[in-house]
Amino acid sequence: MTLEIIPVARRRAYPPRVSRFTEPFWSGLAQGRWQSTCCEACDKFTFPPKPICPHCWSDRMQWKDLSPRGTLYSWTRVHAAPRVFTDESPYALCVIDLDIGLRIATRMVEREGIAFENGMPMELVVLRFEDGPLFASRPA
Amino acid sequence: MTRRVALVGTSAIPVGRHQTRGDAPLQVMEQEIMTRLVVDAVADAGVEKKDIQSLIFTVPRPYTLQKYFHTFLVSHLRLACTGMVMEVMGNGMTAALAFDQACNEILLGRANVALALGINMEAATPSVEHAMSSMRTTGDIDFQASAGFIPISWYAMDAMRYMHDWGATREQFAAVAVKNRHHASLNPLAQYRTPITLDEVMAQRPIVEPLGLYDVPGRSDGAACLVLASEDVAKTLGRPYAIVRGRGFCHDGSHQINEIPNDMTELIAARQACATAYREAGISAADIDVAEFYAPCTIVEVLVSEAAGFFARGQGAPGAADGQTRLGGRIPISTSGGLTSRGHPAYVTSLYNLIEMHDQLCGRAGQRQVKDARLGLTTGELGNYNAALMHVLEAVR
Repeated sequence: MTLEIIPVARRRAYPPRVSRFTEPFWSGLAQGRWQSTCCEACDKFTFPPKPICPHCWSDRMQWKDLSPRGTLYSWTRVHAAPRVFTDESPYALCVIDLDIGLRIATRMVEREGIAFENGMPMELVVLRFEDGPLFASRPA
Repeated sequence: MTRRVALVGTSAIPVGRHQTRGDAPLQVMEQEIMTRLVVDAVADAGVEKKDIQSLIFTVPRPYTLQKYFHTFLVSHLRLACTGMVMEVMGNGMTAALAFDQACNEILLGRANVALALGINMEAATPSVEHAMSSMRTTGDIDFQASAGFIPISWYAMDAMRYMHDWGATREQFAAVAVKNRHHASLNPLAQYRTPITLDEVMAQRPIVEPLGLYDVPGRSDGAACLVLASEDVAKTLGRPYAIVRGRGFCHDGSHQINEIPNDMTELIAARQACATAYREAGISAADIDVAEFYAPCTIVEVLVSEAAGFFARGQGAPGAADGQTRLGGRIPISTSGGLTSRGHPAYVTSLYNLIEMHDQLCGRAGQRQVKDARLGLTTGELGNYNAALMHVLEAVR
């Protein structure tokens, strides 16, 4: 299952750096693939993807697809943005608890007529900027 | 008998806007401010130059052009030392760490008198530019800052969740801002001293929803110097002092959010660090008479008041709205005016909190005096209280 890709007619304000290790995440995301690393030794996912498992310190990490669904734990809307984000301001941010028991933080995409409420179901989407992708979430 | 540490003297410039713009013909110089403060603090303590054997500095902001400011300043004071001379850095915890490290110098026997000091200059740097730096201090700069997360956005999400879990209201958070402004109106070191009303707080523009302008800290410069001494030295000085009775530190092993979902607003590091400090002091939360929190936003003061054991979960916000944390209330918090009104020169903020605590415990807080204050709690933190550093101090008069 791939994420919906939403085109955004601009460049990313603060592009992430890419390492040899995280490159599969960002190139996969550009195709709608939502994945992270899962530890073969202790079976736990971690996000962002890491070469060493933070739980058991094993280096047997594998790329696996992540659950694209979760619930909204909390959110905010930022009106006092850093310089590179001022023309996107105000924008919403959130903390999502994914169905697999992993907490992540993302940009939040507004959906007309739907107010944000903690506990509401959420889904991950890809924002396809002119220079590359970012992940975000929106009410499901 | 075990060695103990006392806070014996202080000095500071009023929190405010002191930094000059880069193109101003006359510049405010950090060393000129700091040498004056050292002389003043040492006089306040009643110690002598030759007694000082260690200086622990807070790291300056990147806008301070003079690098290695600590060793530079030592030369301006011609202070030869056999105890440590160093700068510490721990984000918002920086100044609490400087104090803690100065305690260590005395406890290790490296010094009988040590200074914890520093200067934070940033207010002439526009907020949108400063935010380009501060956005890299919290969260993950590749996987979170790329979405636009900033330090106070995490506290805002604490507020949103706390309202959801406990039915708290924005008015209750606003009551913290009103209370702190009242305290600041009585504090000559405070940046924002004009009293404000609940309606005024509620009417401010949103900054990070649900928090408005008066729920979050402004931009501040500050500089301060604390004089610490061994208890033996403190006893010879013939004036009141504050003895360090307990310390506690905890890092919860996460950064902003815990990737294993937990109760984000419980502040487990603060809870654990307080428990450690209370145990070392042989006291409980109920014994504390006054508290100075590192609480950049109104919601944070509420959450720490619960983590410190002054309120049950969910009772911090209604308790604040009820006046329990105000001067004259059950447990006065942020009698200095707190970070929202006393001001928040982040890397030296906890030095100001310790100055307030020293004033309270030495009975020299003037109109802000908590009657018969004997035991006080100060807190430091970094992240979203992912790490916390607590100090319990006791009055010796």
